[in-house]
Amino acid sequence: MKRRYLAVLGLLVIMAMVLSACGGGAPATEAPAAPAAPAATEAAPAEAAPAEAAPTEAAPAEAAATEAVPAEAAAPAAEGVVNLTWVGPGPGAEFEMRKEQVGRWNAENPDIQVKLIEGPVSATDRFGLYLQAFQAQSSDIDIMQIDVIWPGDLAEHLLDFNEYGGAEAVAGDFPAIVQNNTVDGKLVGLPWFTDGGLLYYRSDLLEKYGFSGPPATWTELEEMSQTIQDGERAEGNQDFWGYVWQGAPYEGLTCDALEWVYSSGGGSIVSPEKVITINNDAAAGSLDRAYSWIGKISPPGVTSFKEEDSRAVWHGGNAAFMRNWPYAYGLSEGEDSAVAGKFDATALPGAEAGMSAATLGGWQVGVSKYSKNPEAAAKLALWLTSEEEQKFQALSPSSLIPTKMALYEDPDIAAERPFMPKLLPVFTSAVARPSTATAPKYNEVSNIFFSNVSDVLTGKQNGADAVANIELDLQDLLGFEVGAP
Amino acid sequence: MAKAGSSDLAKQEQRLAYWLLAPTFIILLTIAIYPLLSVFYNSFTNNVFASSAPVEFVGIENYQQLLSMTIKTVPPKLDDAGQPVVDANTGAVQYESAVAVLPREPVRFRQVTQFNLFGTQFVLGATDPNFIRAVWDTIVFAVATVFLELVLGMIVALIVNANFKGRGFMRAIILIPWAIPTAVSSQMWAYMLQPNRTGFFNTVFWYLGLGNGEIPFLSDPAWQLPSMIMIDVWKTTPFMALLILAGLQLIPGDIYEAADVDGANPVRQFFQLTLPLMKGTIAVALVFRTLDALRVFDLFQIVLGQARYSMASFTYYQLIQNRQMGYSSASSVVIFVVLSIFAVIYMRSLGVKSDEQ
Repeated sequence: MKRRYLAVLGLLVIMAMVLSACGGGAPATEAPAAPAAPAATEAAPAEAAPAEAAPTEAAPAEAAATEAVPAEAAAPAAEGVVNLTWVGPGPGAEFEMRKEQVGRWNAENPDIQVKLIEGPVSATDRFGLYLQAFQAQSSDIDIMQIDVIWPGDLAEHLLDFNEYGGAEAVAGDFPAIVQNNTVDGKLVGLPWFTDGGLLYYRSDLLEKYGFSGPPATWTELEEMSQTIQDGERAEGNQDFWGYVWQGAPYEGLTCDALEWVYSSGGGSIVSPEKVITINNDAAAGSLDRAYSWIGKISPPGVTSFKEEDSRAVWHGGNAAFMRNWPYAYGLSEGEDSAVAGKFDATALPGAEAGMSAATLGGWQVGVSKYSKNPEAAAKLALWLTSEEEQKFQALSPSSLIPTKMALYEDPDIAAERPFMPKLLPVFTSAVARPSTATAPKYNEVSNIFFSNVSDVLTGKQNGADAVANIELDLQDLLGFEVGAP
Repeated sequence: MAKAGSSDLAKQEQRLAYWLLAPTFIILLTIAIYPLLSVFYNSFTNNVFASSAPVEFVGIENYQQLLSMTIKTVPPKLDDAGQPVVDANTGAVQYESAVAVLPREPVRFRQVTQFNLFGTQFVLGATDPNFIRAVWDTIVFAVATVFLELVLGMIVALIVNANFKGRGFMRAIILIPWAIPTAVSSQMWAYMLQPNRTGFFNTVFWYLGLGNGEIPFLSDPAWQLPSMIMIDVWKTTPFMALLILAGLQLIPGDIYEAADVDGANPVRQFFQLTLPLMKGTIAVALVFRTLDALRVFDLFQIVLGQARYSMASFTYYQLIQNRQMGYSSASSVVIFVVLSIFAVIYMRSLGVKSDEQ
């Protein structure tokens, strides 16, 4: 009999391990979703760029993170020297650029030595990593990069830069981003680089089919897409499509759909005044319109596309238009690109000309409240987000878009990155996702939104039902009032 | 075993045994029992992950939210004359929107699925349809993969158990899918299942005249689960084959010789000799694989993300993205219960004995 009990106990123990591995067990000791290291080499090269530049999560394979934060804390190695740990981007072009920055900083500041660690490539995994460190109130991470939708969620764990001269430092930044990073009067993130949804178009094909310029309205986009698609297919390219975008159910779809809704006058889901505004005809109509594209001017598979999937179609010269983030610009100019020199980027169309909207993306620098050396970390953060360093990162291969308005008049940037000053209006008028108004529940809000939009795109419900469902769910979740946009 | 009143030596040995076991138990307590209890405890609270928000005890609220279900009839749409509206093209009766019949107070029920029984349309509603769907999908996934892996694994094992040239090489080579980390193979399959002709399957199907080269394997709900099952069968059949092969090699060869002498054909030998002798091995393999398949995480997380959940990826999503530590703990406990049910069913029905008898 004894052995029987032992067997049962053994089974229980095995299950306990299972449970603690997949549940909310002891989070502080749990590694993030880091399956196997080799995956990083597999997935990273192709996806490194977008995850960095786009504020959305890239393919979850990159969950195959690099390394967890090392246990060694920022203990002073030598007398008077402060050591800082910075969780940087995942492996890729941006990481190389950050390494260069850290090298310069360490040479100039012998008293503050910075250690740069590769973070997970996927934004979602990085979020999970930070949360685990915060849950344990760990001082292992001093300085970190914060997605534009996180300040509301993470505010209670982040340093208030106002106490370290942050207010003066951000005077020249885009006000919308500064406002986004200000939670209850605390400046929890310094704007670092920005992002916004763009319409990429094939200038050669527009000319070939006799269009004078990129579309200003969605109707024009549909007509041009259809004409070019029909023409290209008649010439033998069966894989050609008019318009590619991001339709997979994930944060990226929230970005795309917010642009459709906002550019049709349907508001921004939840207004900054905490009013749920999504249930209106303009919003419903804009979702129905997106559904009508699928199979007509957009491939049926677009409902599983993320940034890189749509860029792959575009990159191979198989699409006339693409909605994507600025990172695609540099890559599309690359040597292996079929569209190099044949494209340009502009503001997305609107329901009527001039109603264009771009979802605000981008990254901030934040300092953990649990850091042992907050002053040194704040100094580093201020340096990283300074005008000189923003110029440096704009001119680097990652071509990160500055948040300092003065840089848009900089002659070097105008010469090397001409699209940046040209797109200034897109970035200044970008519409923010309702992350600050709905914190700390933004992720659930976004999930409700993109799940319902995804059901529209896959034909499970129409736009009017979707916006009604979203409204009901958001009321349950948030308890906010309902109103017109 | 030492009985009461046995010799001093036996008692001494027993004491020593406890001392020797103590470190193991302490380690188990800290790394297994403590997290387990903490999950149980958290499942009754509204704990928010990495937040200073006060933790409140909420009783079984999390479980109610996870598991509440209801079935309602959906009335047909009536026209002005009071007759059901029938779709002119398909002849199908049109029904009212399910949102109208599902309860709204005190909590809102959302549609999981609709079905038709004896001419009446029903809707199954749940407070968290994603979780109900995740449980159902995971069970379907587990049953389908384990069955296919067992059949295919048995075939593979019988083949590599036979005597032929290059058998060792063959045995090594079939293990390759199992040796590749799931994170890598999942991503590999995700590339192959691309919804256009950059994907391997769409290209091949297109050349064969199947489909239009645009089959959305990973976004069409009808294709999602079959794709997952296919990937897992590819990956795990070698493991199953290995377990079964180990069992096959334990069967002494002379009974087959005896069966040959008696004139039993190979099919009869398989069903009357091999299978009964393999019962224990197969039971172990099934328990292993079923519990493994019910816990599936990486495959769903990497290939489908938030498009469709398994129980474990739902839990991960609730914890890391929604930061609902209490809620995700409750769903972990539900996984635990589902696993236990399967484990008990197996032990009972296959007669796995933990005693020596």
